[in-house]
Amino acid sequence: MIRVVLVDDHALVRAGVRAELEGHVDLVGEAGDVGGAIDVIVATKPDVVVCDVHLPGGNAPAVIRGVVDRGVTTRFLALSVSDAAEDVIEVIRTGARGYVTKTINGAELLDAVRRINDGDAVFSPRLAGFVLDAFSADLGASGDPELDQLTAREQEVMRLLARGYAYKEIARRLSISTKTVETHASAVLRKLQLSSRNELARWAADRRLL
Amino acid sequence: MTLDVPARPRWQLPRIDPGERWVGGVAAAVAREIGVQPLVVRAAFAILALAGGWGLLFYGLAWITLAVAQPDRLAPYRPEPKAASPIHRHIAVGMIVVGLLSVFSQIGFAFFPKIVVPAGFILTGILIAWTRSQDESGVAATARTVIGVLVGLGGLIAFVLVSDNFVDSLVVVLVAVVIAAGVGLVAFPSLARIGRELDMERQDRVRADERARVAAHLHDSVLQTLALIQRHADDPTRTAQLARQQERELRHWLYGAPAARATRLGPALEAMAAEVDAAHGVPVTVIAVGDTSDVDQTRVEPLVAAAREAAVNAAKHSGAPRVDVFAERHPDRIEVFVRDTGQGFDPDAVPADRRGLAESIRGRMQRAGGSATVHSAPGAGTEVELVLPLLVDTVEPSQEVSS
Repeated sequence: MIRVVLVDDHALVRAGVRAELEGHVDLVGEAGDVGGAIDVIVATKPDVVVCDVHLPGGNAPAVIRGVVDRGVTTRFLALSVSDAAEDVIEVIRTGARGYVTKTINGAELLDAVRRINDGDAVFSPRLAGFVLDAFSADLGASGDPELDQLTAREQEVMRLLARGYAYKEIARRLSISTKTVETHASAVLRKLQLSSRNELARWAADRRLL
Repeated sequence: MTLDVPARPRWQLPRIDPGERWVGGVAAAVAREIGVQPLVVRAAFAILALAGGWGLLFYGLAWITLAVAQPDRLAPYRPEPKAASPIHRHIAVGMIVVGLLSVFSQIGFAFFPKIVVPAGFILTGILIAWTRSQDESGVAATARTVIGVLVGLGGLIAFVLVSDNFVDSLVVVLVAVVIAAGVGLVAFPSLARIGRELDMERQDRVRADERARVAAHLHDSVLQTLALIQRHADDPTRTAQLARQQERELRHWLYGAPAARATRLGPALEAMAAEVDAAHGVPVTVIAVGDTSDVDQTRVEPLVAAAREAAVNAAKHSGAPRVDVFAERHPDRIEVFVRDTGQGFDPDAVPADRRGLAESIRGRMQRAGGSATVHSAPGAGTEVELVLPLLVDTVEPSQEVSS
């Protein structure tokens, strides 16, 4: 069973998520703030950390950095009510492998946790929209073009994700395998994390004002 | 969110406005308080100054009182005119000047060089020692105080030296002190009130900070709880709908919505989504990509209206738990997709009412110079694709229905 740590400063939310995941995954720990989260994750070394974006004593990126500093490797799924592009992009660039909003239902959340555990990327429609928006902004001649642009296929996958299609449906529509869709999604995630585009940060900050 | 503005007291000390001043700003401030042209008050001060220098003395006293009484952080202040008509106000000023002149004539006009010049020195000294700038270092403050005291003492010595009739001079000084005390008595309540006002302003700031803190708190608590309600309510439809509605309102209250947003496609679609959700109880999520701020609003409106019809149709007929709306601005066109994962239908064999709706969406788009395509199949959900070319001449409207 997938070993999961749950980080959220609201006991109610933790209880809700616990109820949804219980029996399907092995919940090995919970925490309500940055320091506690780092300690629990280091102590239990879970496969997946489901982590609220906004936490007392710092945010999800602080947890991710803290865990990396302590030499522990795990995978993060960001879970948030916040739709602010800045927060979403930051948590992904710090290393989270997916982002979903708290209105996600139990089955979808479980699917996302499994996907993260398999090393895949999890894009909510909103995150896919952010990605398209960020990468469609005018390209400055910065950095590595390989990382600074999405391929046509990747754009197609992101568009379908933003339109609310599941990976399986996307595969059918594009006549490719689900595995290939996952590969594209992971590639986009990698570009999102490694791209040196300054515009990405600026775009995210501007997006707050739109 | 608006701050409560404390009720303005009816009477205030005239406010010195640095932008208006020629010398100290007193004449302009008094003029604004009375409701006449500054030139009138300046002339009055000048006449009084010529009358043995009394005007200068008054001006100096007034300046000290006003300058000390008003920290510049008080809000700008426009007093109500004090008398019924400008003519009345000018007559009032004239009467005050004439009255003062007659009072001065009783005391004597002859003191100008002997009294006013030394008194001017004393006042200048006091002012130098008294006025204080915000970012002054301790050394500079000390130096300024010393210089001020020296200038003031010099004035005092000059005063004693030039008086050939010391007793007479003392009487005059006594009169001046009595006047100053009178002014002080009159001004004191105002000074005290200004102090209280400062206190109130500070409290307003504290309250504003408090509100900001509350807003942050609400974001964390209420929104989280609402998200929970959406997932766990026993009566899923109604409760979730209420929760979503509350969530939107709260977001709106917390973050506000700049007026300019309403003309853009994304916010317009968001508003549409909120209405459809409220009316039909199915959540509609909107993802908008790209900037449409350069697109004429009259072109965006039919697009939003068509998307609304498609979303309403999906909410009412598809049976899907949610509707996804995706809008993207391409350089030459805007695309909007309205998708549900519901029961779907065969576009070639739809009941008349459904076809009517599809026709209506298509007609709307065609009139706007765009096109609408319905993709659907039984059991496979429905997706309505709306395309609005931004270069109208180059694209032919399409009528195709595909499956």
